Amino acid sequence: MVRTLLLLFFCCYSLHSQEYYVYVASESEDTVSLLQFDGENITELDRIKVGFIYTEIEGPHGITIDPNGKYWYVSLAHGTPNGKLVKYTTGDNRMVGKTNLGLFPATMEISKFTGMLYCVNFNLHGSMKPSSVSVVDPETMSEITRINTGIMPHGSRMSVNGLFHYSVAMMSGTLFEIDAVKLKVNRMLNLKPHNSTKMDMNDNSMPNMHSYIQPTWVVPHPVENYVYIAGNGSNEIIEVNLSDWSVSKRMPTSNGPYNVEITPNGKYMLATIKNDGATSIWDLESKTRIKKLKNSTTISHGIAIADDNKFAFVSLEGVGGEQGKVDVICLTNFEIVASIDVGKQAGGITFWKKQ
Amino acid sequence: MRVLYSFIVLLLVVSNGFAQTLFMESNLDGVVLDIGETFKADTFITDLDGNKTICNSLIYYVKDGAFNVGNAIEIDPIDGIIKAQQPGSHEVVAVCVGMDDGNRLSQTFKVTVNYPKTIELDFETMDNIFVGENIEAVVKILSSDGYERVGNVANFVSSDPEVIKVDLQNNLIAIGKGTAVITARIDGVEKSKKIIVSHNPVSKIEIYSDDHTVRTGDVVNIMTLIKDKKGNIIDGINPHFSFSGISNDVSSSASGLINNDGDFVADSSGLYTIYASIGNFTASMKINVVDRNSAKEMVQLSRGEVTDRRTSDAWFFEGTDGRDYGISGTWGSDGTFYVWDVTDPSEITKVNSVTVDARIVNDVKISEDGKIGVISREGASNRKNGIIILDISNPKDIQILSEYSKNLTGGVHNIFIYDNHVYALNAFANPSKFFVINIDNPSSPYEVGSFQVDEAGSAIHDVWIENGIAYSSNWKHGVSLIDVGNGVAGGSPSNPVEIGNYRYASGANHAAFPFKSKSTGKFYVIAGDEIFPEGVDGDSPNETAGFLHFIDFTDLNNPKEVARYEVPGHGSHNFWVEDDMLFIGMYTAGVRVVDISGDLMGDLYKQGREIASFNTGLPNGYVANSPMAWGAQFFKETVFYSDFFTGIGALKILDKPIDNSNTNQFKTDKTLDEALGAKNLFELFEIISNPPLDN
Repeated sequence: MVRTLLLLFFCCYSLHSQEYYVYVASESEDTVSLLQFDGENITELDRIKVGFIYTEIEGPHGITIDPNGKYWYVSLAHGTPNGKLVKYTTGDNRMVGKTNLGLFPATMEISKFTGMLYCVNFNLHGSMKPSSVSVVDPETMSEITRINTGIMPHGSRMSVNGLFHYSVAMMSGTLFEIDAVKLKVNRMLNLKPHNSTKMDMNDNSMPNMHSYIQPTWVVPHPVENYVYIAGNGSNEIIEVNLSDWSVSKRMPTSNGPYNVEITPNGKYMLATIKNDGATSIWDLESKTRIKKLKNSTTISHGIAIADDNKFAFVSLEGVGGEQGKVDVICLTNFEIVASIDVGKQAGGITFWKKQ
Repeated sequence: MRVLYSFIVLLLVVSNGFAQTLFMESNLDGVVLDIGETFKADTFITDLDGNKTICNSLIYYVKDGAFNVGNAIEIDPIDGIIKAQQPGSHEVVAVCVGMDDGNRLSQTFKVTVNYPKTIELDFETMDNIFVGENIEAVVKILSSDGYERVGNVANFVSSDPEVIKVDLQNNLIAIGKGTAVITARIDGVEKSKKIIVSHNPVSKIEIYSDDHTVRTGDVVNIMTLIKDKKGNIIDGINPHFSFSGISNDVSSSASGLINNDGDFVADSSGLYTIYASIGNFTASMKINVVDRNSAKEMVQLSRGEVTDRRTSDAWFFEGTDGRDYGISGTWGSDGTFYVWDVTDPSEITKVNSVTVDARIVNDVKISEDGKIGVISREGASNRKNGIIILDISNPKDIQILSEYSKNLTGGVHNIFIYDNHVYALNAFANPSKFFVINIDNPSSPYEVGSFQVDEAGSAIHDVWIENGIAYSSNWKHGVSLIDVGNGVAGGSPSNPVEIGNYRYASGANHAAFPFKSKSTGKFYVIAGDEIFPEGVDGDSPNETAGFLHFIDFTDLNNPKEVARYEVPGHGSHNFWVEDDMLFIGMYTAGVRVVDISGDLMGDLYKQGREIASFNTGLPNGYVANSPMAWGAQFFKETVFYSDFFTGIGALKILDKPIDNSNTNQFKTDKTLDEALGAKNLFELFEIISNPPLDN
């Protein structure tokens, strides 16, 4: 026991001459914060004001880093009406490019194979109708095409090889796989159980209904041929086997799982439990939940995991005038080891580097 | 030396490796297409030795984005089949992805799409002109598919340069009597038109005006009588008007504006000469222009300071208890709005604050009877923003009657209350709409109608209603007039009917305010820009731009932009009109009050129509010493305003000219005078530098 405790201490507190860098966007402050975590303390190195109209909230929502770590990209969800994608240099945080996207551009990621950026256009405004995934060449910052998917697409993540893009349509209750090279929808999967008697949007006789599952996130497993989906409405994590394109497991969660990420080594899965202000952690080998952590404020949102599998950074929105926060979770002892205030409604978060 | 240079260049190219040693080649390079023509791209990779390899994963796209600037070229990103849609020079990018080590290779190719073949030219030049006249030759260029080419790009020649000469700018100059055939040529198509040059029948032009001495900004109508040599009046001939002038200020130009109707307005005082010309006859008259002297003193009565957070919109009204109140929202904060007692504008007092689940309460409006308040909401934690309807009959004890978010979940930016309906807009949606919500029972609101600009990519930012007409501000789609109960087009809250629209080049229409001029009876809509030319700069002063456009909407079907109010270096935001006076929250230029009486024409700022200005910044502001006036409202003879960084305030315009007695003056400092014999610091420095010598 003593040896174990010493090991945990050793892992989480002692060896960290490493410094970890994370960017987090604050949607109700129009800011992006650059954070540095040294293994014990987290500090805000810079807070970058983003947007183009000072007196309008433009809503930075999704944020991602390109594979070479030289640039970060943030989606500005509000627009007139189209939102924007804006490109900044990492480190000195200079804006170097922008382009218009669709309605409420949200989460995104860059393919290691194509080098293109794939961003879902969430479109949460007004009557529900199918939206799209924008594909952008980040070198020229040109939107090259839009690929139609479902209603309120969210959770834009690439397969590890960069060949496929995954997103879920929140109100359609559908998983979409896009061929990242052919730029076409490859496969779709209705996430409703076959034996479900609950009606949803896909029932044509009830056009105003929407998916009760309300999937909000999908992330591919880094090693195995699965993706994991947050069923925000159905309170579950849904495992989909990509080999036969079917739901292989449903793992119940507490109230409102929102974002999901998996450690690069594939060992652990983390999900924010939005309505509880918590983060849950699963052992993916046993498919069992090993911890549910109460976060330091309300409305847990996004997750970024260090590339050495040691720490996870969780963004927290807060309510009203509360500051957003970022909690650091040690993935050895599964405890929150640091926390910091950032701008209001902290959401999109991405890991930049460790050095 | 050249050899060394070449070696270094080669070394750099080679050492940079992959990207510089492989190149893309394509049959796209230099391709020229006709509109509608399709073309299959064939792209491959070559190395420095000219060896070709195939790229396994190619993606094509049109630079600038097909969705962002229109479908100039339709392209299949994978098959590389392109279809020419619009003439011009376009850039097609080919990207080879998935190469070794995650590299990619890309190349941009110029693709030219020809203008469609011209099939017809249509002259738009008059048949008869007089000797001495100088007119522009214009032809409409039509193609086979109905495409109309813009720009005066045809070549013109005259059959008889002794009658009509064509200059390098395609102007036709009538030299002498006779007939000349003018021929236009382009793309091998030509069209000729016979133009008759007649003797100028004009023998005399009498030029006159009712006014010979006017103020800057006053519009003078210049009239003419055209007579032949017998003294008979000739009808149907319109002179060309121009002017010159000498400013009273020797370092200023005598600028102004004159139109084809003979309306003239001067920016600066001076002596102006107005010319009316027909062919080789010209008449002139003098107009003496004096300074407008509009400026009056405007003083601060009091402030309701909010310096720990930013302030958004404010509304001032008479409450049901007979006292006067103001309500102001907050921005990027905790969803709080404040209520102020402004009965005594020299003592603004905060009497209430309410916090809702939001980060921005951008807009606040109160019903005419002072009983119902509505606030807009952005940044709600559950992302169901919408509006909140309030019982405000006791401003010190506000009750929330209902929350309404149907179709408005993404955020409500602006609202208006009119005739028991709330007009609320989902500013960030597509199509962006304003929804009309019945509040006969404010505890149970329900939607009765909606309006959208029925064009792709439209967005509504603001709506204002007067006399049953809604004025929506639609960014690039300008300002729309919508009958929502006026009856002019049978419109109603459940059936809004658009009756007019005006759009302008900046594409930044952010707010609109209608007014019928008390002095002229003309009906204008003032359309304001909102522009941050340099983007945003954190919590510090920001550059603003844009101006107010004055659109004469007297004829709904033929609106004309006639004037502007632009403060150099500053941008506009929200504004209000009362009794031919304009009150503006001019962002970084503070609050401005402008005389908009009489006919409006030209640049109102240059004309000295500004009555008063006030810097709304404060040393202890959210951003120090940085005015950011959000809006202004004239209420019970007081100018109320809200400022982004300082809260609200009350101003009074005094009926006396600005006191500039202390401006740019050395004041006598009695202390210095008594102690050192110096009337001011300047004299003190002189004494110190040149001390009196003792004899």
